[in-house]
Amino acid sequence: MDDVTRGQRESGVAVSIDEQVEQSLYAQRERIYPREVHGVFATMRVLAVVVLLGLFYGVLWLHWDGQQLLLFDLPARQFHIFGLTLFPQDFFFLSAILIIGALTLFFFTALAGRLWCGYACPQTVWTEAFLWIERKVEGDRRKQMKLDKSPWTGRKLAIKASKHAIWIIFSLWTGFTFVGYFTPVLDLGSRIVSFDLGAWESFWVLFYGFATYGNAGWMREQVCIYMCPYARFQSAMFDNNTLVISYDTERGEQRGARKRSSDYKGAGLGDCIDCTMCVQVCPTGIDIRDGLQYQCIACAACVDACDRVMDQMGYEKGLIRYTTESALSGEQPKILRPRVIVYAVVLLGLIAAVAYGLATRTPLALDVIRDRNTLFRETNEGLVENVYTLKLINMDDAHHRFNVTATGIDGMQLELDADPVPVSAREVLSISARVKADPYLLKRASSAITFTLRAEDDASLQVEEEARFLGPVVQAQ
Amino acid sequence: MQKTIAPPSIPLVQRISAVLWPAFLCAGAATGVFFTFFDPITLLECEGEPPMSRMGAYTLGFFMFWLLCIASSIGTSYFLGSGTHDPVQPAQTS
Repeated sequence: MDDVTRGQRESGVAVSIDEQVEQSLYAQRERIYPREVHGVFATMRVLAVVVLLGLFYGVLWLHWDGQQLLLFDLPARQFHIFGLTLFPQDFFFLSAILIIGALTLFFFTALAGRLWCGYACPQTVWTEAFLWIERKVEGDRRKQMKLDKSPWTGRKLAIKASKHAIWIIFSLWTGFTFVGYFTPVLDLGSRIVSFDLGAWESFWVLFYGFATYGNAGWMREQVCIYMCPYARFQSAMFDNNTLVISYDTERGEQRGARKRSSDYKGAGLGDCIDCTMCVQVCPTGIDIRDGLQYQCIACAACVDACDRVMDQMGYEKGLIRYTTESALSGEQPKILRPRVIVYAVVLLGLIAAVAYGLATRTPLALDVIRDRNTLFRETNEGLVENVYTLKLINMDDAHHRFNVTATGIDGMQLELDADPVPVSAREVLSISARVKADPYLLKRASSAITFTLRAEDDASLQVEEEARFLGPVVQAQ
Repeated sequence: MQKTIAPPSIPLVQRISAVLWPAFLCAGAATGVFFTFFDPITLLECEGEPPMSRMGAYTLGFFMFWLLCIASSIGTSYFLGSGTHDPVQPAQTS
């Protein structure tokens, strides 16, 4: 199938390809061989790939004071984000940070379209890396297509095996790196070297390795077309002033082949020479000349390709370019519009709220868990005793000694294993607390009591937690 | 295959993705939220020595959520069918 028909067929992807669907999972998908492209946007994308992959593979190795700087330590239930330590109690902040991430994406989408897809999405970034490996091993687009059509020989087998071997090693390294963000990487690395990796960690390294290999090596544009939720709803953030990649139909049509020096305008032709380079370089296999399509990831490969052709023809660049619907229809594009302003205001408000919350948060938490086995017991002195487990969570980066007090019932006594309780920086310490009270002073079967935790050296480091004290109901004499 | 449960114009790879992938995303979110509020070590320690590490509990938890969500997605995909046994209509190409 030649490139033009493939482009046309792919653009009507959902409706025109069902006949072969029942036959096989893969039969309906024509493999896309994106042609290598050079130009301004290709350079920007390579730069983005190098920087983002460099960050991904590098940042987990950064340590400060023996602490990994970015570590979502799942086994220890602590997230370390460049000096900030978050605990499960800080769930609110994590959710807010995720919402900020989503709003940032919305903001940039409204402003400049699918910048994310073309330059920053992991699917794009890893696919670029995999394509690069493929080109190094198999050669350019023409050689790849020829190799795939040729019968299986020793040479073909060797080339294909090398490609997949490099892909798999790269994927496994990616899987290891990924797990290294969720469990301390130095420890993980040393255990891999000594073949002492736990079953679960091995599983996740393989799982993410396989996901990388499958998504970037095999699935590629199908992830964007079938699996990406953003691809489907991004159009809701678009308006006529959003930056999109567009073919200038008015200037390009009537498309057609011509000699370089011919008077094509006299022959009724537009600037498009119908060379199909824009289709050949497209990683999702669409024809941008058919108009804006949701499969378009705005990678601008077609812009680069078309600009080179325009240069060769001696025509003005920009037949395919970043532009807006309003600019194409001759209106003045507007950058500041209600949609952009609303996203910006909400985003800034949320960032300010999170920053304020983090700056004023008390880095201390107390969980009180009642003993599950007995509701209460009577002591030799005739008092009622309840037993609690206190979880002291010192989220501060400094060691503190804490005083624990309990209030709520007259004459109540509190017994602890230690007083004051020393808790190291970022430590979660469980201690047992026994609370005793005179049953005659209990007004009801369940009374509210309050535990207070306060640092000896810092009065502002204080939290309270409520609990229930259970006892027998004693009739007044 | 004469009968299909999803509308006939959807490619198989899309149908499979449409079941597995949203389930994967929801399971990820559910696992995150669930284990934020419940520490698996605390959940498991009533039985004495915990039978597995936190990583093990997270992993099992994730796959249980995923299975549950897959079941739900399959249900959705199934009920989206017309329920009648009409032969598959050829798709409109336009």
